[in-house]
Amino acid sequence: MLILKCPNCGQRNVSEFRNGGEYRPRPSRPLDADDQQWSNYVFFRHNVSGLQKEWWYHRNGCGLWFLAERHTKTNEILSTFRWGPDRTE
Amino acid sequence: MSNTLLFVIVIGATLMLVIGGAVTIAITLYRANRLIVSEVVLPHLEKVMGARLPSQPVELINRKEEMRFTFEGNEYSAFKGDTIASALAASGIKIFSRSFKYHRPRGLLCCSGHCPNCLVQIGDEPNVRACRQRVAPDMIVKPQNVTPTLMWDLLAPIMRFLSPFMPVGFYYKTLYRPKWIWKVAEPLLRAAGGLGKASHSESPEDTFDKQYLHGDVVVIGGGPTGISAALSAAGSDAKVLLIDENDQLGGYLRIKAEAKDVVDELCASVYAHPNIQTLTETTVTGCYDHNWLAATHGDRLYKIRADKVVLATGVVERPLVFDNNDLPGVMLGSAAQYLLHLYAVRPGRRAVVVTANDDGWDVAADLHAAGIEVVALADERERAACSSAKMESLEAELPVFWRHIVTSAHGNTAVNAATIAPLESDGSLTTRRTRLECDLLLVSIGWTPNTGLAYQAGVEFGYDEDRAELMARNMPDDFIIAGRAAGTHMLEHQITEGALAGRRMASAAGYGDAPTTSEWTFVQEEKKREVTRSSQRTIVKGSSKRFLCYCEDVTDKDLTTAVAEGYDSIELLKRYSTISMGPCQGKMCSMNAVHLCAHANTSTVDETGSTTTRPPMTPISLGALAGQNMEPVRITPIHDWHLGQGAKMMVAGLWLRPEHYGNPTEEVRAVRERVGVIDVSTLGKYKLTGPHVPNILEKVYTNRWRQLAVGRVRYGVMCNAEGIVIDDGVTARFDEREWYMTTTSGGAGAIYEWIQWWMQSGWGDGVQLINRSDDFAAFNLAGPKARTLLKELTDIQLDNKEFPYMHVRSGVVAEVPCRLLRIGFTGELSYEIHCPASYGQHLWEQLLQAGEQFGIMPFGVEAQRVLRLEKGHLIIGQDTDALSNPIAANLEWAVKLEKDDFLGQRSLLRVVENGLKQRLIGFKVNETGPTPEEGLQIVSINSNSKQRKIIGWVSSCRFSPTLNQVIGLCWLPTEIADVDGAEFIIWREERALTAHVHHGAFYDSNGAQLRS
Repeated sequence: MLILKCPNCGQRNVSEFRNGGEYRPRPSRPLDADDQQWSNYVFFRHNVSGLQKEWWYHRNGCGLWFLAERHTKTNEILSTFRWGPDRTE
Repeated sequence: MSNTLLFVIVIGATLMLVIGGAVTIAITLYRANRLIVSEVVLPHLEKVMGARLPSQPVELINRKEEMRFTFEGNEYSAFKGDTIASALAASGIKIFSRSFKYHRPRGLLCCSGHCPNCLVQIGDEPNVRACRQRVAPDMIVKPQNVTPTLMWDLLAPIMRFLSPFMPVGFYYKTLYRPKWIWKVAEPLLRAAGGLGKASHSESPEDTFDKQYLHGDVVVIGGGPTGISAALSAAGSDAKVLLIDENDQLGGYLRIKAEAKDVVDELCASVYAHPNIQTLTETTVTGCYDHNWLAATHGDRLYKIRADKVVLATGVVERPLVFDNNDLPGVMLGSAAQYLLHLYAVRPGRRAVVVTANDDGWDVAADLHAAGIEVVALADERERAACSSAKMESLEAELPVFWRHIVTSAHGNTAVNAATIAPLESDGSLTTRRTRLECDLLLVSIGWTPNTGLAYQAGVEFGYDEDRAELMARNMPDDFIIAGRAAGTHMLEHQITEGALAGRRMASAAGYGDAPTTSEWTFVQEEKKREVTRSSQRTIVKGSSKRFLCYCEDVTDKDLTTAVAEGYDSIELLKRYSTISMGPCQGKMCSMNAVHLCAHANTSTVDETGSTTTRPPMTPISLGALAGQNMEPVRITPIHDWHLGQGAKMMVAGLWLRPEHYGNPTEEVRAVRERVGVIDVSTLGKYKLTGPHVPNILEKVYTNRWRQLAVGRVRYGVMCNAEGIVIDDGVTARFDEREWYMTTTSGGAGAIYEWIQWWMQSGWGDGVQLINRSDDFAAFNLAGPKARTLLKELTDIQLDNKEFPYMHVRSGVVAEVPCRLLRIGFTGELSYEIHCPASYGQHLWEQLLQAGEQFGIMPFGVEAQRVLRLEKGHLIIGQDTDALSNPIAANLEWAVKLEKDDFLGQRSLLRVVENGLKQRLIGFKVNETGPTPEEGLQIVSINSNSKQRKIIGWVSSCRFSPTLNQVIGLCWLPTEIADVDGAEFIIWREERALTAHVHHGAFYDSNGAQLRS
């Protein structure tokens, strides 16, 4: 079982968390997106073999949605951090 | 002339028959005689006289305490401390099981809990390893896979006859045509092969449970390396867990009389150390991500969070593959040592020892010292390669055959002889053979490191050709292998390496200093200079069956055939032949299989690699994984009241809810004609505060919220980005800053997380969202008498003018502070009353008491489903699925596509642009009759071909007591759904049921009742 570091609560078993899938920023003006762009956002995932930025939610804890950089092959977690408009791109 | 010829022919044929018969009988008698002498008389003698030796220095048995147990119905005696295997071996038992496929007799092979040969059934527990399980008084032990007994297995001769027709994967090749053949063959094959019998009882004899453990450094394996690692890590102040699968620490040192004092001293220091927790008889079965270990101890599953791991799991002795190498009496050298030293059991009377290392010399010396006749010690090596200290003394006393290897074991149900052959200088067999009468054939030709857990931890291994061993190529920071598992065979090196590994992991966990690089390198260099312990030889070709895999009866020929058929990668070979997939999980066979695969492909062992070792490393009972039967459920504050009223409870998500209180139809009538009340405490209930609450509501709901006045309630639908309906509910506005949202019962948790997600990633806007779902009980009081009833309990103005439909009020009801939402899921005048959960039962009882004069009835989920269906209201998740958008789900009125950005808007615009293909719509069944089950298909039938095409499905359907008719909701193509009254066909039990589309609500379509 993975250990994940919640930015609020510290190291916890992954069973306390819910995974929210890979990080996909929502187009800021959805109505300006053409069908291709929009379907890329809604339906497609990169499913990388390597480093992935992904969402986690501390469900049985503080209730924070945060981001983690995880290696999908080794499950090594390089960092976890809070979302911020300037920190995620 | 012709008569004479005929006469000669008849006489000749008769003579030939007689002679042939006589020869056959003679051969049979000869064989039977040998069989009787070597395999019946001798074991019987052993049974009478016993194979127990006088007291041995390190024996584990207590000869003062004797007990009885039964095996296959016969009674045997055992000393306290005996395993089932040692007690049976002491009574001269040679055959312990019949093999998986061919029903060949199998005896003790490894005596260390790895091989499948001694698996037995004890009570309802199958596949118990007899060499590990201690005897308990009056234990009833049964052999497995015998038809009908161990000694006389009827399937054995049949399988011997059939085996040429049953190569590996034969049923893939033969039993597919004609089609019915597999149905006939499968039960026969399943009955013929297999292991023990699992219990189907709902209440197993054992109580399984789970426990969580933690350790800074977890040491797996309690041999000299493990003990040394545990002591040094604990000496650095780390909290250490030391785990061993045997019931005593010491590992292989336990069998060395000369090491007894050292072992006792080491164990005493371990047990005395406050930082070390020792778990014996505990098997680590898996190493998962971030050093999360699973281990079993009897019926208990340990889940261990290890910060750092030292793997000191040692080695497993490797069997040699030669003719009849599975005969009872063929054993690994270490197995004989375990029997001899730990249980004082003589493994045989006349032994041949086959070896390729110094360990085999120890085996021969031990047998010799115990008074067992060693008729030959065959060493594959040159004399010069041997470095055993015992060489010269043994050479003087035993017949030693240098450069010899075993080619065959002989015997029917046990070994009665072995053939050895000298080797050419290039290692190949010469043509000379020596046959030696013996009843024990011991093989000590090499060791396989027990590294499965390391593979799981991400360690990669390479094959060292010189040492014929697997060596680690890399090592993660939080995991280390030491001792024999890492190729360190000499005791002093094991102690040093263990200590360094322990210190290194303790330091990595934050305790003490790590050993210096030079210290670590020094021991690594030292151990490289150790003599080779393993032979390159894995298979000795011959003319009989040679078993690689004891678990599933796979021979070297099977594997060679499989490679020739194209299953030439080790992973494919495993899947095709099932090698390494049995109870030993590859411990006996995987190295030999890799060698064979490499040889067949003319590639190297290193290039061939090995199969992925997955958990569990050793078989684990499903009961241990399941643990205690604990299924948490959620209950509302008035759960006990429901039970007291005899409510039939149903599972709804995690909740237990009353389905009805005896008569759902009467409950529906009560609501329509008088008044009823339902417990809806399961609803999601959130408090939202802040000046910008409408902003977030506008985003997550599909309709408008900015203009909602204080004191009002509005229904809303939520979509995800794909435009799929995920929830619905009502939200009320208490004042300028405080709002109250309700969600469906099923969405109560998920929708909170959903909104939090958006709020925490940019849409927060200073809004506070608090989940109050568990804080409030909620009851829906519904029916024409609801207002009159409620007036008796509250001062809140309830008249239609003061408190109209879709409004919210706060006030006191039955002395309890409450929130009242006037909404109408049931279609009647109704008040949803929310109060603090702790007052829930009081309020509920007050409502029922006050309602008595009006004929109130509590109603359950079933009545509510009928009531809402009569009103044409959908239930998210019942009438919608992961493909339903709100426009198709008849909720277009609640979707304001022209408003600012909201979740689902972009996708829904496309839905509108493309037009709908299907739609959710109401229907009535034409005829009176059965109620179509939910989920039934709606079909169109081609009038010519009678072929049916699925065009829709029924999502809700009930008999409506109010309308006296069967009504429902269904998904239909828009061209049918758009026409009020259009007929269509529901396909039910191979018959067409005609129904027609109904637009609008079935009951009170203008909402007069709701607003009354």
